[in-house]
Amino acid sequence: MSAAASPLRLGRQAHPSPLGSSAEGTATARAVPRPGVRSHLRVRLGVRARVTAAFALGALVVSASMAMITYAAARQSSLGEQSAAVLRQAYVNAALVRSTLRSPGPDIVGLLGSLDSVPGSNSVLYDHGRWYATSLGVGQDAIPAAMQALVVTHGTPAHQYHPVNGVPQVEVGIPVPEVGAAYFEVFSLQDLQRTLRILALSLAGAALATTLGGAVLGRWASGRALRPLTEVAAAAAAIAGGRLDTRLETADEADLAVLASSFNQMADNLQARIEREARFSSDVSHELRSPLTTLATSVQILEARRHELPERSRQALDLLGAELRRFQRMVTDLLEISRFDAGAAELSLDEVALGEVVRQAVMATGAKDVPVEIDPGVAALVVRVDKRRIERIVANLVGNASTYGGGVTRVGVDARDGQVRLVVEDAGPGVPAEDRSRVFERFSRGSGSGRRGGGQGTGLGLALVSEHARLHGGRAWVEDRPGGGARFLVELPASQL
Amino acid sequence: MANRILLVEDDERIRVSMRLALEDEGYQAEEAAGGEEALEAFARRPADVVLIDIMLPGMDGLDCCRALRRVSAVPVIMVTARSDTHDVVAGLEAGADDYVTKPFMIKELTARIRALLRRARAAGPGSGPLVLGDLEVLPDQGMVRRSGEEVHLTRTEFRLLCELAANPGKVLSREQLLERVWGYDYFGDGRLVDVHVRRLRTKVEQDPANPGHVVTVRGLGYKVVP
Repeated sequence: MSAAASPLRLGRQAHPSPLGSSAEGTATARAVPRPGVRSHLRVRLGVRARVTAAFALGALVVSASMAMITYAAARQSSLGEQSAAVLRQAYVNAALVRSTLRSPGPDIVGLLGSLDSVPGSNSVLYDHGRWYATSLGVGQDAIPAAMQALVVTHGTPAHQYHPVNGVPQVEVGIPVPEVGAAYFEVFSLQDLQRTLRILALSLAGAALATTLGGAVLGRWASGRALRPLTEVAAAAAAIAGGRLDTRLETADEADLAVLASSFNQMADNLQARIEREARFSSDVSHELRSPLTTLATSVQILEARRHELPERSRQALDLLGAELRRFQRMVTDLLEISRFDAGAAELSLDEVALGEVVRQAVMATGAKDVPVEIDPGVAALVVRVDKRRIERIVANLVGNASTYGGGVTRVGVDARDGQVRLVVEDAGPGVPAEDRSRVFERFSRGSGSGRRGGGQGTGLGLALVSEHARLHGGRAWVEDRPGGGARFLVELPASQL
Repeated sequence: MANRILLVEDDERIRVSMRLALEDEGYQAEEAAGGEEALEAFARRPADVVLIDIMLPGMDGLDCCRALRRVSAVPVIMVTARSDTHDVVAGLEAGADDYVTKPFMIKELTARIRALLRRARAAGPGSGPLVLGDLEVLPDQGMVRRSGEEVHLTRTEFRLLCELAANPGKVLSREQLLERVWGYDYFGDGRLVDVHVRRLRTKVEQDPANPGHVVTVRGLGYKVVP
């Protein structure tokens, strides 16, 4: 029953989770209830319990019937033997009584002393209305009245089995009419009863032990039989948790090897597909960079000569330039988000004064006259964060506010409970409650018809905010701004120096 | 006299568009489609600034930069397709002074070129020789001696050392150094400073792993021990 009996084992390389970013804490990641998992577990435990119970029950039935049969047979044969021995002895003794009492001047006391006796047997003699006994405790009283009448009065031999004070005994009565006497023998079955009781106890103990053994065997056998499934379940859970390179070791046993190899095949395909998908957007964005560089450079050359162009060409150039810049932002954002998907996003931590970083980042967005309120507790706070990502968070939130919320009205930074919070508010239409997690999804533009200027964003800004926050171990969400508008919040753990 | 810029880029369209843009900005641009070609062109006629694409067929941009560094302290800007730490740091480690990420804005690129040219021309904070233990910094001559022997520094490394040495014992933050050495506003990349300090240490320190001259002040920046 050792663990080494396990036919399948988990094999896993020590890679960080490529999809491990699906942790808690962001507006986009929602714990979707998976009813299947729990019920699956219950079924599995049920099978084990049922097998265990079946083994125990089987063992109980078999061992209990064996015990009962054994007990009955033993009791039957011991009783029969004892009864036969007692009868035999009683007749021998009765013959001795007859021959002794026939002789003149019989010595009754001597007769009683000379009678054959097995342990537990007592003789009682009736002779012309007088009773004699070999033992003080067993006399005329020990013989039931009915039997006395039957034997003494009617001269019929009798033999009966009858418990006295819970102790079974056998009484045998033999009339000796030639001499007007009767011979009784009272045989106590106490020893036999004790022996049978011990036998019964041992048999019950054996049955109990067999039942327990059956239960243990059932538990072990079911566990052993289900172990491959347990390991498959663990491997599947590991893969679902993002460790895509988890594989089962192929077993020696043929039917388990089939399970393991098809499981591994499935995992290979899944991993390849996920990696291909993650690589695809990264590859696409990379390939777009070269033409985009040429485009951007050429458009900038044209823009520098804008004054040389006729009016209609100028208009066309402006459209071209604006769309090109949006396209450029989109490629940059796609590339960024594909790094998250590929698990290649790494924090480049720096010790920075957060308040100052946020203030500068707001300034860099070109949003003029935006009050940046830095909580006095944060002003001097130096935290370890990825400065570039913080700047992206600020830029994307400010950009979002100006695209959808009519412009940012306030940016705030505060700290509490070991967390630092960035707050970006606008006075726009706000985000309806049902859209609040969806706005952090990729390419979601919200359902609100009041949203305007949709042509400016890349559709990835808030998704990136959420991803950047999550990479820091924080989260992003949106709520109502008191007085109307949206309030976007990003909370990061303040790992201080 | 216009400043000469050597453009090393294998994609012809990007190369031509960059040349046009740089010429519009008043620079004289020379094109090279590969690493070897670039080295030959530079040997024929040194440029004032070299732009190197990191992904080149044959000799790649990193090797090209290292080869260039062996013969010259010319300002080098690495053009990367990715802003990942790996590519950026590799480019800086190879000896580049700065980097831009594709697709870039011409204005951003020319700002960096201008800053590098300013740095190349400026003779450092005009002051007399500074002595730091076995190090002797001569800002006027653009020269550093360690135990009397000249140490070859790139211009960026030299400026970095001069800024730190001019304020012995005083901690300068990455932002301050970016502003003073690279001439950038707040939005420069702190990795520029870190990598250059690392490279500077390999040249001026006895034991770069345990620096005695340029030390890190955790969470704040760097300082020179007087």
